Amino acid sequence: MSLEFTLCLLALFVLAGIGTPVAYSILLASLVYLAVAGQDLALTAEQILQGLYESFILLAVPLFIVAANIMNAGTISERLLNFCVAAVGRFRGGLGHVNVVASLIFSGMSGSAVADAAGIGKIMIGMMTKDGRYSPGYAAAITAASATIGPVIPPSIPMVLYALVSDTSIGYLFLGGVLPGFVMGVVLMAMNYYLAARRGTALESPVPLRHLPQHTITAFPALLMPAILLYGIYGGVTTPTEAAAVAAAYALILAALFYRALSFRSLYQILAGSVRSSAAVGLVIGGALILNYIVASENIPTKMAGALVGLEVTPIAFMIGVNILLLLLGCVLDATTIILVIIPLFLPTCRQLGIDLIYFGVIAVVNCMVGLITPPYGILLFVINAVTRISLREIIAEVWPFLGVLILAVLMMIFVPDFILWLPRVFGYSG
Amino acid sequence: MWSTRRWLSVFRWLGARAENMAVAMLAAMFLTFVLQIVSRYVLNHPIGWTLELCLTLWVWIVFWGSAFCVRDHDHVTFDVLYLSVGRRTRQVFAIVTAVAIVVGLLASFPATWDYITFYKIKKSATLKIRLDYVFSVYAIFAVAVIARYAVRIATLIRNGAPEDSPEADSP
Repeated sequence: MSLEFTLCLLALFVLAGIGTPVAYSILLASLVYLAVAGQDLALTAEQILQGLYESFILLAVPLFIVAANIMNAGTISERLLNFCVAAVGRFRGGLGHVNVVASLIFSGMSGSAVADAAGIGKIMIGMMTKDGRYSPGYAAAITAASATIGPVIPPSIPMVLYALVSDTSIGYLFLGGVLPGFVMGVVLMAMNYYLAARRGTALESPVPLRHLPQHTITAFPALLMPAILLYGIYGGVTTPTEAAAVAAAYALILAALFYRALSFRSLYQILAGSVRSSAAVGLVIGGALILNYIVASENIPTKMAGALVGLEVTPIAFMIGVNILLLLLGCVLDATTIILVIIPLFLPTCRQLGIDLIYFGVIAVVNCMVGLITPPYGILLFVINAVTRISLREIIAEVWPFLGVLILAVLMMIFVPDFILWLPRVFGYSG
Repeated sequence: MWSTRRWLSVFRWLGARAENMAVAMLAAMFLTFVLQIVSRYVLNHPIGWTLELCLTLWVWIVFWGSAFCVRDHDHVTFDVLYLSVGRRTRQVFAIVTAVAIVVGLLASFPATWDYITFYKIKKSATLKIRLDYVFSVYAIFAVAVIARYAVRIATLIRNGAPEDSPEADSP
């Protein structure tokens, strides 16, 4: 490792460690690298500007953010919840199941775990704790756990970012996430059922079945969104970026005309919020572009691939090692940073070991999401703590069983690649 | 001389206009995209310039937004360590952060300016916009961020670290 690269990493860790925004930390660290190496300091601006100006797929990021924010505002979430209560509220652990199913459906539109937890999660926790049937800690824990499904089921911003660094198809990545997302939902519901039965949680009074069609009809247009999105991409009708625009337009029409839940003023607020998120993410992406340029010019990923292949690591051992590392990193770093900065280091090794990059990408995204609820520093735990004021200690005490089954689900995906690759192959993926 | 309060109200007004501009750019980008889709799939008559306009707006949204709209808690930040230390240490951390940003961006500014102005000889592929105009938003971003963190250094030295978040709200 060269002197300039060592100093670059040192600057990065020190700055990020003392609380400098990650984007600025990377930017400054790259300047340290260029200065010590005696290169042109303008390279930083050049890499960010050219990178953002030339990559078409990144346009999906602001568009998905707009779509998610429109969906989370207004009364769309309430209609969806009514539908979920009518459908699964009658079973043991009822509201816990509603929570998971609502996340599954919502993930089809928001693509952001934090948005899910802060939006629909807050409403759910209120419902679960209202009559004292569920402890606040339990309600918060299952909400956090089910919010991790969001970015696994398409549309998914983390997967767009992975597609950017790995040069894989967004379409196949999205398809690859569908079954794993459902698996995560199933294991969470199983654990919820088990805990509810053991604790003897009271049953909800069921919504009469004859009301179900009515609830389904009001929720139906919102339920259609993921289908439109996937049809657009896989029917070969639109590119994934265009599909993101279609999703945003559909959300807008739905909220404004069909549900009549959107005023001009709230639309402005939604766009302003979307600008802030897009700009903050865009800056981190820009930072990652410079860092990847430096890492590539230092030839780090290839050296790492050489070393790991030289050790004769089996693909399974490699996957398990990487996943343990990602889970640990997930406790301290956020998913965007891990996917843009850490994952590219492993991609050449994957290619040499013959590990499928769609398979690797989906597992990496799932794992980053599980990292979001891993104590002590899962970001979702903090978000829920901030919006509901339920203490972290209570949430963490209840989150372990859910974390456990999610990790089991990850292991299952690692050992049975077909969970991920079956659906993309049905649609013509040849890997 | 104007009072501090008057300056603050001017800055607030400018901040609101900057946000108007950012929202307008995002709305324009969204509409351009819809136009592109309609022209390509409904009218079967693809337009070439839409894609380039979207990419230009995207670059502008990122840097304009980062310069004027993004609040500190919107940033992706690793704050475990920061939150676990006392107020005095936080002040030191926050000052180091602000100084590093000011020094780094100032040091790279001349070279970056050369890079941007060099592009006056080149125009974009379809819309024929001069590329130095497209890239100039990075210079705006750099100047705004330098100014913002320079003011923050003064505030931090005078008032110490803010209570909760890693950094105070922008000056």
